[in-house]
Formats: sequence, C-alpha cells, structure tokens
Amino acid sequence: MSDVLKGNFKPQNAVVVPEEKPETLEERFERTALKRLGGSIAFVSKKKVMWDLKDKV
Amino acid sequence: MPIISEGPGELGRKFAAEMDRLTWEKVGPMGLENAARNRALLDRGQSIAALRDAPLATGDSAIVIAAGPSIARRDPIRAIKASGYKGAIIATDSAMYYCLRNGVVPDLVVTVDPNFLRVVRWFGQPNLDDEELHKDDYFRRQDMDASFADELRVNREITELLRRHGPQMRIALATCASQPVVDRVIETGMRIFWWNPMFDDPDLPESKTAALFRSNRLPCINAGGNVGTACYMIAHAVLGKKRVAVTGMDLSYYADTPYRNTQYYTDLVEIVGEENLDAVFIKIRNPHLDAWFYTDPAYYWFREAFLELAADAECVTYNCTEGGILFGDNVRFAPLADFLRETSKPGTGADVAG
Repeated sequence: MSDVLKGNFKPQNAVVVPEEKPETLEERFERTALKRLGGSIAFVSKKKVMWDLKDKV
Repeated sequence: MPIISEGPGELGRKFAAEMDRLTWEKVGPMGLENAARNRALLDRGQSIAALRDAPLATGDSAIVIAAGPSIARRDPIRAIKASGYKGAIIATDSAMYYCLRNGVVPDLVVTVDPNFLRVVRWFGQPNLDDEELHKDDYFRRQDMDASFADELRVNREITELLRRHGPQMRIALATCASQPVVDRVIETGMRIFWWNPMFDDPDLPESKTAALFRSNRLPCINAGGNVGTACYMIAHAVLGKKRVAVTGMDLSYYADTPYRNTQYYTDLVEIVGEENLDAVFIKIRNPHLDAWFYTDPAYYWFREAFLELAADAECVTYNCTEGGILFGDNVRFAPLADFLRETSKPGTGADVAG
C-alpha cells in the first residue's frame, strides 16, 4: 500500500504517531475479570433500607 | 498463561477492590431488566413492608441459615432442633433444601441473584435433563451443599418438598429475580414478599435504585452483595430482630478444600490460569478458631461489606458458623450452642420452648 499512497507534501510540524501501549498482564486480567467475577447483587456503602424516597437510609 | 509476579493473595485483593464495579457489570443491567419484567407480576405477592416489625416467630432473635461449607461439617440444624428454638429462621434459597430435608420449614426464604442460570435449581428446576447437566458441572463441583452433587435425585426431592411445603412458606423475592425463578416460586405457592435490592446509592442524582423505587414503590434493601447478607439485613432492618445469628456464612473454604471445588474456580482459571491461582486466593487465619481458611475475591468483598453493615446495624450480630473468615469488631464470633442458650434465658426474648 505504501508503494501506492505517497505523500505529496511535507507537513510543517512533524507528525508524531503515539505508539500503542501494550496491555499489561494486570490489565488483561482485569478485562477478563470484568466478564466473569462479581457478586450476586450490589453492595451500597452506608445504606440499609429505603422505605420511601424521603427516608434517611 | 504467563506466571505473574504478585505474591499469594495479592491479585485477589486487587480484584476485591474492584468488585463493586465488576458486580454492576455482571448483574446490574440484567437485574434491572428482570425488575421491569416482574412489574407485571407484583400482584402475585405483597410488599416486604408487610413484614416490617411483624411478629415472625417468637421473640427478638433470628438465625440466618446460609449454605457455606460449614453446613456439612457443623450441621447447625441439629443443634437448632435439639434446643427447640422458637425464634425466626431465615434461609437463603441455597440453604432451603438443607432445611427442608432436615424437617425444618424456614419462617422466611430469601432470593436475590438475578441470573437466569443455576438459581432456579435451589427451587427444583422443571424439565431438568441430562443434556443440561452435561453443559454445567457447577453443582457437582461446588463445595456449598455437597448433596446437590447428585443432581437429578436432589432436583426431584426438592421439587417434592416444595410441592408439600411451598404453600405454607414465605419468600422475600427480590424484584431482580429471573423469570425461571419467579415462575417457579409462583408455581410452588409460596407467599411472596417483594423487595428491591439497591443497585447504587439512592441519594445520587440519576440513581438507578431511586428510579426503580419510583417504578414500583417497593422498599429498597442493601443486600450486601449476596443472599446471605440479604437475609441478615432483612432479619434486623425489616423484621426488627435485635439478636441475629448467622450460620453457614463461611465466606471462605476450609484449608483442605481443593481449588477445583470453589465457587469461582472456572472463572478464576479463565482469568489468570491454573498456575496463578495462589495469587488470587487469599489466606486468612481465624484467631477464634486458630485455624486457616482461604477465600476468593468475591467472598472477600462479601466479608468486608458484611462487617461494614454490621457496624451500622441496630442488632447484636453473632456469627455462629463455627468456621470461616467472618469475624471483626461488630460481630460476636460464638458457638451456636451459646447463642441458643442465651436466647432461651427468661426475660431475653424467650425464644426456646420449655
């Protein structure tokens, strides 16, 4: 492809293409964990029961 | 899978710290979808508000029976029956079969997990066949109630037990329960008391919990991540019990349990590989028993959540599991026999028959 598409101008500022950061092992575990781990239902810190919307829960 | 550098349990603690978010991803949208579907069925039961401070059983105490591995080793129902305990017995859906096959009909059963698969098995799954069993070895492998390993026989037995006892039983049925569970509960004739589990902080703007409340006007209860903790919350925050003991709440495994028999084994192998499992399982010494147990990230998170809820509870909390890792400042770790003796003393609620 690069043989066919060639730039026909020179940009004034150098174009820096950021290198894609390789996924760390931990990030990979977390990505997989997202699909598999978790409780049966949520836990909400500092709350008990809400009987009504006006309640202090 | 490459060998990772984390020490024993380190990765497990990292996963546990992410469990709020992971749980939402896993069950949040599914639970809300189930709740929307169940709106059409709310007239098949009543609000759990009907149980608020209701005289469920005698006295001011309750015993929660969950289905941890200590059930097989400590058999709490034997002591409960022998004592003639008359307080409330609240069972998780997973412990219902243990109760019924031992001749105890719980005063209340609780279910909360929104998953379509597996949960209905605690109620006896209609049309369970070999093909379905072949697809999923969860119940054969798991270390909760080992009798579930004989799946077809148990399924027949629990179906029969619920045919017999269902109409006399009450269930606190979370609105997020899946269609197979709700259909089966209705079929058994259990008396339904609906409640919403909290999905997030109801005081937040755009709260999903507050929106759910507005849609069905049912009380929202913090279930603490799992059905055992939901039982505990209902015992004191809804039923108003002042002394609540939990049994079968190991939230961990005995040190001699093979990893393969743990709840999240296949998931953890998928995530980190068999060779890295030591990094995700967390070893904890129980100083009350001078014994070691190990746990996985989800159970570790359940433990932290329970301890936070116990600190804020308007009851005295006893852990009578006689095993596991649920101990801390606001939990009295005690033998079940002590709790049964204490609740039988005259003038303390008189929970035990003479």
